[in-house]
Formats: sequence, structure tokens, C-alpha cells
Amino acid sequence: MIEFDKLSLRLGDFYLQDVSIRINRGDYYFIIGPSGAGKTVILEAIAGLHLPDSGMITIDDRNVAALPPEKRRIALVYQDYSLFPHMSVEKNIGFGLRMQKCSKEEIHRRVSRLLEQFGIVHLKKRYPGTLSGGEQQRVAIARALASDPEILLLDEPFAALDPITREQIIMDLLRIHRKKNLTIVQVTHSREEIMRMANRCAVIIDGICVQEGPVESVFQNPGSTVVARFIGMDNVIPGVIIARSSGLTTINLGGKSITAVSDASPGDPVEIAFRAIDVTVELHNGFISSAQNRFIATITAVVPLGGPLTQVHMDAGFPILALVTTLSAEQLDFSPGMDVVASIKASAIKVIENEGVT
Amino acid sequence: MAQCSFLRDRCLLFFSLLGGLILGITILPLLNMTIQELSDIPHLLQVASDSKVIDSIILTMGAGANAIIILMIFGIPLAYVLARAEFMGKKFVETIVDIPLMLPHTVAGILVYILFMKRGLVGGPLYNIGFSFEDAYPGIVVAMLFVSSPYFINSAREGFEKVPLHLENVARTLGATRFSAFLHVTLPLSARHIYNGAIFSWGRAIGEFAAIIMIAYYPMVISTLLYYRFSTGGLKESSSIAFILILSCFTVFLILRYLSRFIGRYDDRV
Repeated sequence: MIEFDKLSLRLGDFYLQDVSIRINRGDYYFIIGPSGAGKTVILEAIAGLHLPDSGMITIDDRNVAALPPEKRRIALVYQDYSLFPHMSVEKNIGFGLRMQKCSKEEIHRRVSRLLEQFGIVHLKKRYPGTLSGGEQQRVAIARALASDPEILLLDEPFAALDPITREQIIMDLLRIHRKKNLTIVQVTHSREEIMRMANRCAVIIDGICVQEGPVESVFQNPGSTVVARFIGMDNVIPGVIIARSSGLTTINLGGKSITAVSDASPGDPVEIAFRAIDVTVELHNGFISSAQNRFIATITAVVPLGGPLTQVHMDAGFPILALVTTLSAEQLDFSPGMDVVASIKASAIKVIENEGVT
Repeated sequence: MAQCSFLRDRCLLFFSLLGGLILGITILPLLNMTIQELSDIPHLLQVASDSKVIDSIILTMGAGANAIIILMIFGIPLAYVLARAEFMGKKFVETIVDIPLMLPHTVAGILVYILFMKRGLVGGPLYNIGFSFEDAYPGIVVAMLFVSSPYFINSAREGFEKVPLHLENVARTLGATRFSAFLHVTLPLSARHIYNGAIFSWGRAIGEFAAIIMIAYYPMVISTLLYYRFSTGGLKESSSIAFILILSCFTVFLILRYLSRFIGRYDDRV
């Protein structure tokens, strides 16, 4: 188990402030956040490449401040793979074993097994400069696993890969994670990878850990608007609670009322957040329904995303962004200036309280 | 193919013409001297077979190589620290490294002489145990070491800086100590810079005159011998020595440049 207790670290102009996270043994843990948020620094701190200015890192309840990287049994794979350019694939993979003074036979045996496992036997005499991105990534992961680490740190492992290679490496990693019960900590700024691979995650924004916990909980209940936006809730609107009854609250959004599930008390300033995909857009037939969360809105822009989906920007007294199928956008002939009805299910709306405290 | 596009590229052609003028400044006197020397081949052969000249050239190149070996032992660690560590007063240390570049060579000679003479801070105690720098081989080596050190240290440092820190970090997470990571990753990847730095500073050491004669007039390095023959025997004799020195240096450095292609080839492909 890796635990950060109020870890602060300064590197030049960059600050990591009071970061507390807990990674359990066997977790597939994701550190997520926008570029430049400090995710890689956290990995390097776990590996022992940076010493904290304050706070503590413990691994299996042991303070590791005095433990140099070479004694931690934590392997790190950088985004650029960082293969040793002057060593063949074989030598790269065997590097850790050579450093641990393993016998030649042992090195040969383990390197051969990894080459086979990753399907790169044919590359063993090649040098990194002649390999494709996907091949380099496989070599880098094989090299990291060669010395049988307890923790594997991956810095955006799929960032530079084509979709097919990416898929193969995801499968490889999931298999290794399951088989070896390895703890994997992976950095990404992609939301899709998290839903698929992680069981726990931390959201790091500007050097601060804004939320941490099981993936479902972070994605279902974003604790702040920054997290809400990051996990794909494109609609974030400020409002004030005006009424509450039987678990449902009514929120005033600049004159319009919206209903959501929340425990906030009347008078509380809140932010509401919901995904664009949870907004339904219908043609306005003149009839104004009294149903909850239905708003007459004017389309301000229609943006096809190039795939099956199209963004519809609307103004209902407050801005709403919807994601509809391109097919229905064409069939209903959505165009700017058109009046439509936008509706959002109450259960799809997250109410975020106490903004600024998280 | 490359030549064809070179000739069509007007910018490159224009730059080559400008650059050619600079080369001309070196080539013209060399050519001038070559023609003169080749007009009296018997005299040239006589000077070339003079054992004093041959010994002196061997001494100069040998002392230079000796200085570079010492420089590598102490300069590589310094260059690595400067490349990888941030500390208070780093700019100060960097400036000290560069000082021999800025000083007139006579000043370098005085500095070396004061420190290593028989009554000097370092030279004194060593003289007492029978080790002399004044008018002796070690004096030549320290003078060469002093004037050529910045070329080597700065080049090695540049080489270390070019090795991505990530490579060292990865090596360490794979179980290498910092020293092992340096030895197995950083050092081989900077081999070309270190090699080129060594050639540069060796060249600088061989060319030194002022700093050397101040501490060691004897044994005569080639520049001292040349100056001595110039003041006693005149231009004809000294220019033949100069010609022979130029020829030997050109040959040696051409070979060394050629060999550098085989060192650290892999880093081109990253």
C-alpha cells in the first residue's frame, strides 16, 4: 500500500500541495488531470526520484524517505518510453537484472520469457531507434517487469500509440495486472481509459489533489466543478437552492427553476452539473409542458463532431450544451435561431455544494 | 543527389562563398609555406630527421595526452556535477572553469609557476620529496592541463546535459545506483562529446607555448624548440620545423576526427 500524507513538493516553478492519496495493494490506480497538473511528479515521488519538502510517503506502512529509487522495487515507464538507445532490445530488458547481479543464465531465461510474452522475440537484436512506438512501448513495459517489481508506474502509456496498438497494450496490461496482482499506478488525461481500467483514481489539478476515491464515486459525485468539468460534465451552471422536499431540491438558475436530487438547504449557493449526453432536445410544438426540467431554449449553434454525434448549444436563460445523434440533428433540421425544448432528468443533475472547500 | 541540391541552393552557396574566405585565411599561408618548403626538399628531410625535432614532437604530443588523461579523471566528475546538480554558487564554479579561456597565456603561466615552482604552495612540498615541476616533464603537463581544461570540461558537460534525465531515472528504478546509472547509461551516451572534448583540449595543449616556457623551458616542447631555433638559426630552419609540426598535427587530427565517427553512433538514431 502506498500512502501520501499531506505531501508537498516544489520543483522550480511547480508546486505539489498537501497531496494525500492512498493506493492499495493490487489497485489499478489512475492519476488523472489536465496537462501540467503534476501527475508525473507524483509518479516520480513514488519512485523515489524526488524527496518531499514536507509530508510523508509510506509504502506498506514504512516511511520511504531514506530509501533510494534502486531499493524500492518500483518500476517506472515514461511516456517517451526512455529506452536506452545504446543497448539492444535484449540488453534493455535485461538491464535491471544485470544491475541486480543476476547470473547470465537467469538473465537469459527471464529476458527470453518476457520477449515471448510480449511477442517481440524477433526484435531482440534491434536497437530502440529502429522500433515503432508500439514496439518501444512493449519493450519498455517488458523491461519494467523484468526485475519483478511490486509496483508499476505508467506515465501516459498510450499517448503516442495508434488505436490498434493501444488496444493490444491495454489488453496486455490488464492481463498482467490480473495475473500478477501487481499494483499499477497510471497517469492519464484521458477519461475513457479510466472507466475501462481503473478501480480507484485521484484527480490532480494545478498541483492539488481535488478528489480521490473509487472511480464510480468520483465519476458519479464530482466534489467540485473542476472535477465535474474534467469528467465530462460540460454543463456547469451556478444557482441558489430555493426549496427542498422529499429529497428533491429546486434550484433557481437566473430566474428558471430546475429540480435535482440533493441534500442542500434552501438559500445555499450551489453549482449544478450535468453531461451534455443527458440532455434531450425536442422540437417546440407550441405546447409548454409542466413537466420537471423542461425548458424552452433557442439554439445558438450546431456543431457536428465529425462522428455519430453533434453538439447543440442552446440558450434557455442559461446556457445548455446537448449531445445528440447527427442523424436526429439532421432529421429535425436543428439550426441556430430555432426554438426547441431541452429536458434533463433530475437524476442526471449533480448538485455541487461548498465550492472552493474541496 | 545531395551535391546537386547543394549547388541549386543559393543560400548554401552564398554561405559557402563567405565561409570559404575564412578557410582561405588558413589555407593561403599553409599553401605559401608548403610551396616554400617543398622547393628545398633535402633541407626539409634533414630537419625532419633531426632527432631533437622528432623527440620534441613526441614529447609535446605525449605530455598533451598525459594532461588529457589526468583531465578526464578529474574533469568528468566535475562536468557531471555541473550538468546534473543545482547548488548555490554554481555560476561562480562555472566561471572558475572558464577562467583559463579568458586569461592571456602568460598570466596562466605565472599562475601555474607560482603554484608549482620549487618554493610554491604545491611545488614546494613535492620538491622536498624529489618531485620537481620546474624545467621538468610534470611542469609541461600541469601547464597544458591548466590551459586546456575548460575545453574538455565544457564539452563533457554538454554531453551529459544532452542525455535525458529520464534515462537515468529509469535506470535507477531498475535497480541501478546513481553511479551505475552514470557508468552504464550516461557515460556511454556522452562518449562522443567526451571524445571530441578530449581532442579539442589535446589540440589546445599541444599548441601551448607561453604558459609552458614559464615553468618548463626544458625539456623543450615543440613550440619552445621552434622559438629557440627561430631566434638562433633564423626563419628557414624554424619554418621547416613548423611545417613538419603542421603536417604531423594535421595527420593525427584527421585520423582522430575519422575515428570519432565510430564513437557513440547510436545517439544519432534517438
